[in-house]
Amino acid sequence: MSLEIGAGELLALVGENGAGKSSLMNVLYGLYHPDSGEILLDGKPIRFKSPRDAIARGIGMVHQHFMLVPTLTVAENVVLGREPRRWGRMDLERANAEVAATCQRFGFQLDPRARVDTLTVGSQQKVEIVKALHRGAKVLILDEPTAVLTPQEAEDLFRVARGLKEQGHTVVFISHKLREVLSVAERIAVMRRGKLVAEVRAAESSASALANLMVGEARSGDAGVEPYHPPTGAVVLSAMDLKVRVEDGGTALNGVTLEVHAGEIVGIAGVDGNGQRELAEVLTGLRPLESGQGTLLGKPLANLTPHEARRRGVSHVPEDRLRRAVVKGMSVEENVALGRQGQPPFARGPWLDFKGRRERTARLLGAYDVRPPDPLLPVQALSGGNQQKVVVARELDAEPKLLVVVQPTRGLDISAVAQVHSRLREERAKGVGVLLISLDLEEVLTMADRVYVLFEGRVTGTFTRPEFDEREIGRRMLGTGPGHG
Amino acid sequence: MGDRLRAAVPSILSVALALAVCWVAIALTRDMKVAGEAYLQMLYGGIGQWPRFLETGDAALLARPLGEAAGKAALLILTGLSVAVAFKAGLFNIGAQGQMVVGAVAAAVVGAQLTAPSVVHIPLAILAAAVTGAAWALIAAALKLWRGVHEVISTIMLNWVAVSLVDNWLAVGPLRAVATGGHSVAGTAEIHPSAQFPRLLGDISRLNLGFVVALAVALLVWVWLTRTRQGFETQAAGLGPEAARAAGISVKQRAAEAMALSGALAGMAGAVLVLGTEYRYPGALAAPYGFDGIAIALIGNNNPLGATVTALFFGILRAGGTRMQLLGVHKSFPELIQGLALLFVAGRLVWLALLKRRRAQPASTEVPRA
Repeated sequence: MSLEIGAGELLALVGENGAGKSSLMNVLYGLYHPDSGEILLDGKPIRFKSPRDAIARGIGMVHQHFMLVPTLTVAENVVLGREPRRWGRMDLERANAEVAATCQRFGFQLDPRARVDTLTVGSQQKVEIVKALHRGAKVLILDEPTAVLTPQEAEDLFRVARGLKEQGHTVVFISHKLREVLSVAERIAVMRRGKLVAEVRAAESSASALANLMVGEARSGDAGVEPYHPPTGAVVLSAMDLKVRVEDGGTALNGVTLEVHAGEIVGIAGVDGNGQRELAEVLTGLRPLESGQGTLLGKPLANLTPHEARRRGVSHVPEDRLRRAVVKGMSVEENVALGRQGQPPFARGPWLDFKGRRERTARLLGAYDVRPPDPLLPVQALSGGNQQKVVVARELDAEPKLLVVVQPTRGLDISAVAQVHSRLREERAKGVGVLLISLDLEEVLTMADRVYVLFEGRVTGTFTRPEFDEREIGRRMLGTGPGHG
Repeated sequence: MGDRLRAAVPSILSVALALAVCWVAIALTRDMKVAGEAYLQMLYGGIGQWPRFLETGDAALLARPLGEAAGKAALLILTGLSVAVAFKAGLFNIGAQGQMVVGAVAAAVVGAQLTAPSVVHIPLAILAAAVTGAAWALIAAALKLWRGVHEVISTIMLNWVAVSLVDNWLAVGPLRAVATGGHSVAGTAEIHPSAQFPRLLGDISRLNLGFVVALAVALLVWVWLTRTRQGFETQAAGLGPEAARAAGISVKQRAAEAMALSGALAGMAGAVLVLGTEYRYPGALAAPYGFDGIAIALIGNNNPLGATVTALFFGILRAGGTRMQLLGVHKSFPELIQGLALLFVAGRLVWLALLKRRRAQPASTEVPRA
């Protein structure tokens, strides 16, 4: 494939997961080496042996997962690896001054002395950008930069990107969020299966046109606006004033009250680390409740164990897939049995039922289009998207009454996302209460019938579908709604 | 089955490499002829002197070495299983030695103090050893689950407690055998004949019921681990404790059960030693069978069947080691082979990493930290 990037350009690179976006950028950044073909920089062929070479030639990359040392300050992180020295020791004063100068030059408002772990995600991302610029990057590659940002923070990032472009820098966005790509980029390159399939000007394109290009068939992404589905049944979960204390650096719940009815999708919106994880853990019995009352499927919420939660009909698609959803080192079929390992068709009395397990697994792998559909494969040999399909298949196959899903589509490609979303809608139609916790506001807004906004362990806003107001929800997510000045 | 064999390849290669290294060591210190002869004698000592048997037709030439090998293998099977079972639940039981010691004493006490017909006496003595070993292991489990003490530390310390308690107090104090006919005996009183394992081939071989018990137990453990819901849950708890917990498995309970089973297996090794060959607690264990169990389990890939096969193999080498002495080669060579094989197996991860690196281009999608 060939791609030209002009100096001082704002280019977006879009494509499904596995389309080759990240591979391409990793080649440019010197992490991978091309089997054939060449890279020309300013007209001259170059070969990067490592990211060090790429950095030296003015290419900087901001990864989706930040590469920052949380306990060091902004300035320390920025100069890390090329610290100014005096008497053989790091000259912190000079580092602070240099970093402050860089921030000033590019219009970032960052305190070089602030510890990185005290910063918001949006600011941490700016630290990453400053780090690249400080090393003289003229070309900046941003890998899925808005995945973790609130709409306001994303706007801010776009402003930064445009500012950099004004100063003659080249910015490459890797993304699969079409709306924001259209709003920020000038030129959009679409990749599919390792090939560049189209280059379009943002002004002349639309989200549906891009989606068609990415997917390749008449199989576009989300189609239009979801209608509102009023709940069809009784309350499956009602929680009053839930409080949770945490000892391990998580966020406490400070009095969360919410309800989920049968046959509705309830979304939880919020910036990462505002109690979403703890809420999911409480509802699935993984974390004890400190105080508060609640009823979960007709019985008290207090003293819930994971076993009891499953017995009552709670299924859980956890956020941390490899740690909490699947057992690495076990096969796909063993992972499918997990959670129901003592019930038919996975067991007969105290004995495992190998035949029943194999049949059920084969059926689910087919129904959920898991590739490759091999029940004996170690689960970690599947790609992330296929692992997630296995987890979703398993949890839905348990025929839950309440489904607690956290970040169900993170890192999945468009078709897998569409599959997960349509499965959730099917569950709603079957009368399952779905609690969808996601950091991706777009996902919450497209899927949910009602939304609770969580900020610092409290509900700071409740919205029902006809009256979704993205900006207002964004403000509540940052705790700046009415009453939370 | 194909996968199972493939999983055994690194272990087989490691053992072969260990055999080769030791052969070179003997060849260098003596000469190649002695090295070859020593290995041949080791084999004869383990699986029988086939050439002379075929010449003379004396069955004892086969039965005696095989009996010795089976006796050693029985102990290694049980201690190997002990370590493997704990490992499957995600626990590293270094305490098989201590659990075996307390189990051996329990078997010796039941064997000597009770009188009952064999069909009752033998199972009772084995049961006592298993329960005592399990109880000893549960101390470590309790310390881990309630106080967060790492089981490696607690089981190592409990080994010393067990040895001190038994060898330095019980065996020389309250349980010391009463001297008969003026000469004192080391260790505890001899067990009644009703508690002694019957010899399966009569007097020509020390092959006894203990070997059968060990094989049967190995089969049961394998069935439990791979065929039952509880075994599945135990493995899940060991491989992915967080995911197991989220799946409604009581990880702590499964860990405690596995530790108890691990201790019971080590305790049974003690019973097999006392009821099968020593007929008393001998004052101190002749060999660190409990620690051998760690090597057996790891070379056997922590799999009950793998550990059993490994134990059989090293049982043969161990029994044959004594015959090496005929050539002036030290009898500890089988232990050296075992130790080297463990070392090479432990290095397996390094091999695999190297192989993977060469095969996969690009190396990984993991991005080096800035």
